[in-house]
Amino acid sequence: MEIQKTEAAKNPETDDTIESTKQKQPEEELEHCDEEDELRSLLLSDIGDLPLSPPSATQVNFVSYFITDFTKPGHDQYIYRHANGLCVVGLAPTHVAFKDQGGITNIDFNVGKSDRSVLKVSGKRKKNAMRSESNTALCKVSTANDSYIVRCCVKGSLLEVNERLINQPQLLNSSADREGYIAIIMPRPADWTKNKESLITLEEYKEKKEVSL
Amino acid sequence: MSDEAKPSPGDSPGLSNGLVSDSDRRVYQAARSLHPSAVKDLLSLGVCERCVFRLVSVEPFDFDLSSVSASTLRRWLDSGDDEEAAASSEPSCSRVCIVCLGVLQFVFSDARQTMVRSDCGSDYAARITDLVKQEGHEFDSFGLEVSVPSTVMENESSVLLYLKGKYNSEGWVQSEKIISVKDALKVLVLESLKASLGAKSDSSSFHIRLTYSKASDGAQGASETTHERKKRKTDEENGSTCMSENSFQKVYEPCSLSVHCNKMPIFFSGRYFKYSRNVSQTRWIIDDERMGEASVEELIGGNILPACLGDSYKFHAAGREDIDVRMLGSGRPFLIEVQNARKCPSQQSLTEIEEKINNSEKKLVGVKDLKFIGSQCWAMMREGEAEKQKQYAALVWMARPLEEKDIDSISSLKELKILQKTPVRVLHRRSPLERERTIHWMKVEKMKGSSNYFLLHLCTQAGTYIKEFVHGDLGRTSPSMGSILGCRAEIIQLDVTDVKMGDS
Repeated sequence: MEIQKTEAAKNPETDDTIESTKQKQPEEELEHCDEEDELRSLLLSDIGDLPLSPPSATQVNFVSYFITDFTKPGHDQYIYRHANGLCVVGLAPTHVAFKDQGGITNIDFNVGKSDRSVLKVSGKRKKNAMRSESNTALCKVSTANDSYIVRCCVKGSLLEVNERLINQPQLLNSSADREGYIAIIMPRPADWTKNKESLITLEEYKEKKEVSL
Repeated sequence: MSDEAKPSPGDSPGLSNGLVSDSDRRVYQAARSLHPSAVKDLLSLGVCERCVFRLVSVEPFDFDLSSVSASTLRRWLDSGDDEEAAASSEPSCSRVCIVCLGVLQFVFSDARQTMVRSDCGSDYAARITDLVKQEGHEFDSFGLEVSVPSTVMENESSVLLYLKGKYNSEGWVQSEKIISVKDALKVLVLESLKASLGAKSDSSSFHIRLTYSKASDGAQGASETTHERKKRKTDEENGSTCMSENSFQKVYEPCSLSVHCNKMPIFFSGRYFKYSRNVSQTRWIIDDERMGEASVEELIGGNILPACLGDSYKFHAAGREDIDVRMLGSGRPFLIEVQNARKCPSQQSLTEIEEKINNSEKKLVGVKDLKFIGSQCWAMMREGEAEKQKQYAALVWMARPLEEKDIDSISSLKELKILQKTPVRVLHRRSPLERERTIHWMKVEKMKGSSNYFLLHLCTQAGTYIKEFVHGDLGRTSPSMGSILGCRAEIIQLDVTDVKMGDS
């Protein structure tokens, strides 16, 4: 197709002698070829300098908050707040459970009055969502020797808990900040404004716990 | 522009009865055949000549009436005692009819509250034509709609009640067969209107609406009418078959007339391209703050609307993309619906609009195949042409360098079924569900000089969340690019390269 293109460009006079019916086909192909070329150049032209390691989707889409020593020492949790207001809740890297030998081995959502993993939220209006308070128990994580209550940290509607953790509790040890998230909670805007006061920012967390993330 | 070349026979001097044509003769004979005392009664009540014909005549209401002036009609109706009538008719025939409020007298108040009077139907049609032309519509056929105040109907039934009370025993009062003021007006002006507008009349996509509203529809007027209505009601309740002559109030002001033209929506189709990651598909404004620098909707609609001289437009697209996703390749089908278009741009000017958009300085949006389509295409696009498959190019980063075996394993996956929970980014407004979607095929294109990046070409079922398929959305989409590669994967940017519709 490349050749056809240059030929046509070089010999405009011979083009005129070719019958119009014959001329049509290469032209169509040329056009198609041009479109492909155009698409390719458009796709590639937009790619700027590629960073060695780009920020993750979690870093880009969420603002990180933490709560440390919540109700008990070493009970550190993260709250990732999406621009749409939803909060993803999980265990901060400094959570005391990770210090136990072998890390977390089990998670149990059957705490408090109901099993958090059984509630089925439905519809745009999130019917059947459990109303959570900041200190409502969310689940219990167990290590070889001990167990710890994890709390909701956010006042709002409990939209979902990460059911994968029931069969794969090791996700909590390997990627607590992504696939090992524990729950998604939707706070009301007014509640969140108040709620936020009890949380600390990523910078404050790093400073307080002397960790680098 | 009154048609002065056409003689208005009623006013021709020298002819005692002005009978110059057959139609005049017919009207004259009809006038003479009417029940003389009923005619006299109605005229003295303040009912206009054409309403008298409407209410009293047993013959069908006729277009012939429109060419005879009110004063001539009055003479013919009165001609039993010519001398007396000639003296009294001038002031009385200039009075506003107590039934039609001037509508059938071709009298109305214009926008400046001035009383405008036309002698015959063609003059009146010419005035209406002027008002229609002010709206600047292009059309070759029209539908005529007339709207009159409800008091017209009420007045009419009162007058009929009065007639019945007085003449019922004679058996000629037939209230069922009477033509309404609206229809009578249409009979009177439609033919002339067709001629002066140079257009056909049918139930077309273009409508001319004559809206007559009561001049005294102010606060004071309202209280009056409720009072009248109450009075009438009590009269009817009393079973009074005889309306007293005093119950009809004189009308001093004719209705005000406004002419509205309305064109049914017209549609244009095409495909659009979006070259910017800061342009939304539709106008997106939250708390007075614009998201992105512009929208596809406004860039296209804003160029088409002035060419149609329309009131407003609506933008409909087959599916959509996020603000930070470009639409390249095939472009995406869309429709623009223009309300009340005064003209329909030619294909030539549509091509010019296309060029204008495509050559704009910022090059945010492009358009191709822009064309005018009939309004019936609308349903087709909604049902038959739903998007089926979409093709994307995604720039992907992975936590380790890309290997040849990755390329093989990705491209070997055909018709891959994935499960997607409603993404966190839309979970606040969508139902929490798990949906199965199909990735039809994937191709990997290596990037020069950066082994952690590659361009992923993929074709998926419509409704697949691509960003979530790449980064996995906290493991809520499975499998994901990350889980297939066995390492963290991130999506840097995304472009739509093809939208395949249901019928292609």
